[in-house]
Amino acid sequence: MPTGLVFFPAFDWAITPTHPEREERLLYTRDQLFEEGIMDLPELIEYKPRLALKKDIARAHFCVPDIETQITDAHLYAAGGALVLADALMNKEIDNGFALVRPPGHHSMRVVHGNRGFCNIHNEAIMIEYLRKKYGLQRIAIVDTDVHHGDGTQDIYYHDPDVLFISYHQDGRTLYPGSGFCNELGGPAAFGMNINIPLQPYTTDEGIHYLLDNLVLPILEDFKPDLIINSAGQDNHYTDPLANMRFTARGYAKLNEKLAPDLAVLEGGYAIESALPYVNTGIILAMAGLDYSWVREPDYKEENFKETKENMDYIKELADYLWRVWKEREQLAEQRYERKEKFEEVNRHIYYDTDGIREQQHETIRICDQCPGYQIIRSRGMYSTGKVRVIEAVAIHHRACKTCQEEARGYYEQRKREREGLDVVYLQDKPGDRYYQCSADGEIEILD
Amino acid sequence: MLIGLDVGGTYTDAVLLDGQQVIKKVKTPTDNEHLLDTLVSALDPLLDAAQGESLERIVLSTTLITNLIATNRIEPAALVIIPGPGLNPYTYDYHVPDTFLLSGAIDYRGREIEPLDQQELKKCAEEINKKGLKKAAVVGKFSQRNKKHEETVATYLKEHIPDLCVLMGHQVTGRLNFPRRIHTTLLTLATQENYNSFYSEILKLLKKRGITAPLYILKADGGTLSFELSAAKPVETIFSGPAASTLGVLALTPEGETSVVVDIGGTTTDLALILSGRPLFASRGARVGDRLTQVRAFATSSAAVGGDSCLEVENGALKIMPYRKGPAYCLGGACPTPTDAMRVAGLTELGDQQKAIRAMEMLGEGLKLNPQETAELVLDKTTEKIIAEIEKMFLSWEQEPAYRIWELRQKKKVRPNNLVGIGAASPALLPLLGKKMGCNALIPPNAEVANAIGAALAKVNLRLTFHFDTERQFFFIEENGIQEKNREVKTLADAESFAMSRLIEEGKKLGIDVNDQPELVYSEVFNMVRGWRTGGRLIDVCVQFPTGILKQQEEGDH
Ligand SMILES: [Zn+2]
Ligand SMILES: [Zn+2]
Ligand SMILES: [Zn+2]
Repeated sequence: MPTGLVFFPAFDWAITPTHPEREERLLYTRDQLFEEGIMDLPELIEYKPRLALKKDIARAHFCVPDIETQITDAHLYAAGGALVLADALMNKEIDNGFALVRPPGHHSMRVVHGNRGFCNIHNEAIMIEYLRKKYGLQRIAIVDTDVHHGDGTQDIYYHDPDVLFISYHQDGRTLYPGSGFCNELGGPAAFGMNINIPLQPYTTDEGIHYLLDNLVLPILEDFKPDLIINSAGQDNHYTDPLANMRFTARGYAKLNEKLAPDLAVLEGGYAIESALPYVNTGIILAMAGLDYSWVREPDYKEENFKETKENMDYIKELADYLWRVWKEREQLAEQRYERKEKFEEVNRHIYYDTDGIREQQHETIRICDQCPGYQIIRSRGMYSTGKVRVIEAVAIHHRACKTCQEEARGYYEQRKREREGLDVVYLQDKPGDRYYQCSADGEIEILD
Repeated sequence: MLIGLDVGGTYTDAVLLDGQQVIKKVKTPTDNEHLLDTLVSALDPLLDAAQGESLERIVLSTTLITNLIATNRIEPAALVIIPGPGLNPYTYDYHVPDTFLLSGAIDYRGREIEPLDQQELKKCAEEINKKGLKKAAVVGKFSQRNKKHEETVATYLKEHIPDLCVLMGHQVTGRLNFPRRIHTTLLTLATQENYNSFYSEILKLLKKRGITAPLYILKADGGTLSFELSAAKPVETIFSGPAASTLGVLALTPEGETSVVVDIGGTTTDLALILSGRPLFASRGARVGDRLTQVRAFATSSAAVGGDSCLEVENGALKIMPYRKGPAYCLGGACPTPTDAMRVAGLTELGDQQKAIRAMEMLGEGLKLNPQETAELVLDKTTEKIIAEIEKMFLSWEQEPAYRIWELRQKKKVRPNNLVGIGAASPALLPLLGKKMGCNALIPPNAEVANAIGAALAKVNLRLTFHFDTERQFFFIEENGIQEKNREVKTLADAESFAMSRLIEEGKKLGIDVNDQPELVYSEVFNMVRGWRTGGRLIDVCVQFPTGILKQQEEGDH
């Protein structure tokens, strides 16, 4: 079966005219792909994106004050492009698929007050929730190969024991968004399901592939997911203007060959001339099982991409450490979280770089012996205009037990009645696949 | 007066028109071995009918190129490619034993990223010389954005190999798609000579008859071109048959409507679409045998069923076979066919009624149905198959990838106003098809020579797609391979007016009526931002004198 491709470069959409996330971003990639004649190969089949529905978005996000405010058609087509491939995969039309779409999504968190790291809504999370609901998939693994920490993905799946998230990224002390450290391992119900691999600046193909072979692939083999998704950012490339890594087009292609993701979705990557045309060609060829050895950047020389001994030592140590964490995650979880408590509470701050929004979150996590529970998020968004919005959102896990489901729904009903101080109250009822939000204008169910 | 000639694979149609009025029509079998004889027998009756009145032009649509390629009567040529980085160039098979790979690379902006290797070039020339090859195609990746490498190689080869005929990729097509450009270049190179000799024969033949009217050729994109100009790219005249029939339907139906052209033949039903009065083009270029080319052509599709399709019963189910065993049973054939069913159902007067009933009886035995019921079932199955193919065509048009939000947004579900039947079995079956699809079934007068009418009335068209790179102060034109320096164009408005005036200038050279309205097909600009500052711009502008037919009133002006 062929490899499915959705190419949605959104040639008529930009954040601002000179922003890295602008019309031009995939222009040279288009030229390269079209000139290669890749779409004519029997190994590839091109699909047209469709519009994602609001309900698809509501499965992954709480948009403040509503979905319409947070998105444009470009977002709906980008997310819809991923959904088209998800369907094609499940209908056995394709072996695997790559959604080469923009705008990206992996910095979008559960609560969306605005644009963070060029993202408003999370294309992969929307796709995953769709796959789980429509096709009943259980275990999903996401491997993020964007140079930035996939903090949106981490946030959305932090309490979900069925979704394993592994993120490669440049160390948060040296790059946006400043998170993604080894000790961010997952909430009480999903401890060890969130693996961060912070890399030193200037890490090369060699280092990234060492971690792939000695950490990522063994974990995946152990976890046995129903589906592997690649959050396929391309800003680890050695020419990327926003980061400092030394990954090559061939390194990316080889990574995709070994990882063999079922679905890949484009994230960042802003070396629009020197990297993207080559990296995308490489990834597509690798996914389609075609020879990618002719793909190389104009200035590529193999000898320039060797690891220093110092960095290699760090990498080996990191791989050993994280492997131990993975193997011992259950014992470690018991040490970390007091199981006697029914609720765990967390406070944190989130910054929206693009829109200049500061958010305060208070999260109440229901810990249950029977199920992955639910969470209540109280979020206060402070906008650059001085405006403040406060919301509360209830998120129930797919496999929540009857008691947890009733508790969570009860809480939502109560908040709906006593809404003082809150702009919007949300319910994300995944077991029932129903999504509501209630504001001064009344309650609405989010459908299509 | 106008003459249109369509030399199809089986029949040759010819018409003499006064305006859009048919003065004389001829239909004669095509002798593929002696196309000139066929032409004469179609043309002479028309010349008689014209009675010496002045002819404005003769337009010819022919299968010559298709035949040449299909029968592989093409001379061997060397293929010299400069692939640069990307897909392994051996992924595609170009069917050329003498293929030479040269290093050197141009990137998507037309910048040289790797120089040619003089030693390699020298060795390549020696090999070609040694093998005694007389022709060579030289094609580089992104050569449409910078022809330097192709030209260096071509010049070198010509200097070192006497009498070598060299054709460069950028001369043939400037559209993106390196493998298709290679195929198209090879086909152009292979057919140029035969094309020239065939047409010099035709010109002689016309001269002998004292005809001074210019000879025009119909292209796959439905435009015509004077013969002299078409000789540069004969491959563009391939598949002009569907273009001819679609234009014919355009001439015979109300303006601006959405129609399906249905040509029900012996074992196939050929389909083409006219969307709101505009023929639908194939999104990427024609397929010639197993080669994908960049020849712009109408979108066509074919259902494997026709009036003579053999019908069989397998495991109690009716099956329409993709082949025929002679004509319909009612016309003395060997097996039951849809035509027999039409006869029994009273949809046609063709053939013998008793034999038709007998055919349905034979078929009905295995189905446990009487002849009337059997005929009904056959007609159901036949129409279902055609309708499914029509639906598929609309669907694949709807599903065509698009890369802009507005393009995705604007494509609405469209269904036809008309089914327009041409071809032998159409009159009987079309009303039934129309009823099932809920649209008008039209059999226009003179439908049997629609192809020739389409050819006769085809306009000269011209489409130019410009790509400006204001940073490199350069532009190229996709369709004709022109690459030029340009300092004036800086904005989208500059580019549009530049393209438009160039179109009009080029159009005049082709003899396009100055009263024809040029169109801006699309234009878009990309700001190149480097380090958060806007640098140059990349501007794409496509302008055209569209494909279409000569209108009555325009004809009246003459
Ligand atoms: Zn990452
Ligand atoms: Zn990134
Ligand atoms: Zn529970």
